[in-house]
Amino acid sequence: MQGPRDIDEATKAADGEGLDPREAASLLAKAERDAKRQFNLSPPWIAALGGVVILVGYGALWLSTRGQHPYSGPSPLAIVLVYVGVIVAIAASVKVYQRATAGVSGPSVRQQRVEGVAILISYLGSPVIQGAMKNYGASHAIVYGVIPAAAPLIIVGTTVLGIAASKADWPQFGAALTVVIGGVVAAFVGPSAAWLAAGIALGVGVAGYAAATSKRFGPALRRNQWARTHWTR
Amino acid sequence: MGTDALDPVIHAPARLRIVATLAALADGDSLSFTRLQDMLELTPGNLITHLRKLEDAGYLTSETTGNGRASLTSITLTRTGRVALDAYTDALRDLLGGLQTTNVSHSPRHT
Repeated sequence: MQGPRDIDEATKAADGEGLDPREAASLLAKAERDAKRQFNLSPPWIAALGGVVILVGYGALWLSTRGQHPYSGPSPLAIVLVYVGVIVAIAASVKVYQRATAGVSGPSVRQQRVEGVAILISYLGSPVIQGAMKNYGASHAIVYGVIPAAAPLIIVGTTVLGIAASKADWPQFGAALTVVIGGVVAAFVGPSAAWLAAGIALGVGVAGYAAATSKRFGPALRRNQWARTHWTR
Repeated sequence: MGTDALDPVIHAPARLRIVATLAALADGDSLSFTRLQDMLELTPGNLITHLRKLEDAGYLTSETTGNGRASLTSITLTRTGRVALDAYTDALRDLLGGLQTTNVSHSPRHT
């Protein structure tokens, strides 16, 4: 049974009496690291999944259209593969978002929702241009090759570029700029190579963003390193 | 090792973890009581006790909306709380830096 003295000692311990500064430093570093990990909207595995989807999806589109004369468009299998990959990536991203923002409210969450809506609307740009081009009699290579490969990168990339600039989020800005440049290149290299150019630009953008944001967790890791260094000496 | 330079409101394991967790959110964002409890694995009573101490010091604010089972308590780290955590971290760094210097100056020299 707990006596009054035990309770008193437990209260003192809970109030930090006897908490060694080195122990406090380690605890602080761990709490920061754990919290950042739990609130992180883009963990490394999501970037890896995005990379795989881009590699497989755009690779399949390019391989299925390579050497087509005249251009007839991607094979049904490649299109199904892309849709499945995109659905899996979206489902995983939504799950991560829900888990990271559970119980979180405030200005940054509202901002993220508005940004999400802006990006979703910008995705409509490509099919609208495709429809208009088809309506005006553009070739199959333009409507089902160049436009679907290049337009989403230019339109959505520019939207993300604006969002990143407004937040001074330079890793995101760099990734979006890479994607936009890739889209511009894709617009001029022909219908089949457009898929390859788009895939490379997206892959480089995602990998660069993942590398840059992993550095964002640097301060906590460095502080932990600092705590460990002092612990071991 | 003396801990007088460390803010006693923050210098307690549970409160240190609470403040560090809330500081990981963007400025002005709130966290629900239940999420915070899940993250820190504290009992509701224990968490309430520590939150009250931090709130009394002006380091955080809590707001409850709704009634009964539908009520939701949100906790926000104040500007004062963020500044206090920064000051605590600086004090901790100075303290440990001083300890390292002391250890080095007292260590035997190899000639």
